[in-house]
Amino acid sequence: MTDTQWPRYEVFKQDNPRKLHEAVGSVHAPDAELALQNARDVFVRRPSAVSLWVVPASTILMMTQEELEANPEWWLDDEESGDGVRPYHIFSKTSQRRTMTYVQHAGQVEAATAKAALHKAMQSDQFDKDSVWVWWVVPEDQIIRSEDDNIDSLFAPAKDKTYRQQTHYGFVSPRRQKRGRQEK
Amino acid sequence: MNKTIQQLLTQKLLAMADDELILAHRNSEWIGHGPILEEDIALANIAQDELGHANVWYELRQTLTEEEPDELVFFREAADFRNVQLVELPRGDWAFTMLRQYLFDAYELLLLDMLQHSDYQPLAKASAKICNEEIYHLRHTSSWIKRLGLGTEESNQRTQAALNELWAYAHQLFVPLPGESILVDENIVPDMGVLYREWEERVRPYLTAANLTTPHNQTPPTTSRSDHTPHLTQLLSEMQKVARLNRDAVW
Repeated sequence: MTDTQWPRYEVFKQDNPRKLHEAVGSVHAPDAELALQNARDVFVRRPSAVSLWVVPASTILMMTQEELEANPEWWLDDEESGDGVRPYHIFSKTSQRRTMTYVQHAGQVEAATAKAALHKAMQSDQFDKDSVWVWWVVPEDQIIRSEDDNIDSLFAPAKDKTYRQQTHYGFVSPRRQKRGRQEK
Repeated sequence: MNKTIQQLLTQKLLAMADDELILAHRNSEWIGHGPILEEDIALANIAQDELGHANVWYELRQTLTEEEPDELVFFREAADFRNVQLVELPRGDWAFTMLRQYLFDAYELLLLDMLQHSDYQPLAKASAKICNEEIYHLRHTSSWIKRLGLGTEESNQRTQAALNELWAYAHQLFVPLPGESILVDENIVPDMGVLYREWEERVRPYLTAANLTTPHNQTPPTTSRSDHTPHLTQLLSEMQKVARLNRDAVW
């Protein structure tokens, strides 16, 4: 069956100016402009945000720690070739606990290809590489950003909505029964 | 505020609120049926915003008449609604919904812009607050009109068919209510003639750039907001059904 969905874009959201951009999921859209609008409708309806980035999913290099360890020469096997260097954004996942977001912005490097950029990032002190579970490498020229002067109309309405994120509510944890009966 | 002005203002607020309410309901009918998941969510968001706008106008009106929004929404008959016929028409295909929404959003954004300068402070403040959402609505629907008009032969044909049907209906939005000129003289609401010219200056070139032709006929099927099609009765029978099952229920 042919896929009738539009191309997929990964979405990165910055909750407030003091926080880093985080991956929150993806949307399908026919082009960059609608990707940004769809991302706002899907991910910023109620949570706060000051900035949204969308990136065509096909342009992102995604590597898990296991994949990297399984092939120690992974960076030599590069399908891309590049002359000159370009900026790449490095995103990483350093915790297994967060459920609402995935990778978080960790910094930038300059390189000729995405794999070269990742290799460089892993060799630098900047990226805490021993704590990373997942790496994403995003070419700067593929990022489509929301505009600063649109912040109000894009994001402000969310502040008045009365619904809350699930994390706002406490939860009741299961209690272990006495005498070693099964946990509920 | 003298009695005449108060009465005219409550009439105007009812018209504005009813427009938003009925349009919100038509848009919400797409939930679960949108062409793609993200659009389903987007249109549901827009519908929810409109419901919020309707509530703002009903509540503002309540400060003048004591009439409760829930009573107005769930227990009026079709003949007592004051929306334009444009918003009660069935949702049609995606092109129809998007084109109707575009024509309405362009009107509403201009209206809100002008209302922010109203001498009636509560109205000016409320409009300023809602305006942000409307900017976003228009951005969304105009993106769609461009893509539908300039997309495939089918998308262009469907959008043109929608425009052929909706253009005349949209003109009812600019028909002033009886006595409205008094509100205009008091600088409480803008002049509909001025609003119409600005609207026309924006939408006509935009539609043309999207490879769509505006029809010659601009005469709306009716100029009275008391005049409704059977579509409104059908819509209300669905929208009011649950509330009417038990009139005394507390929600």
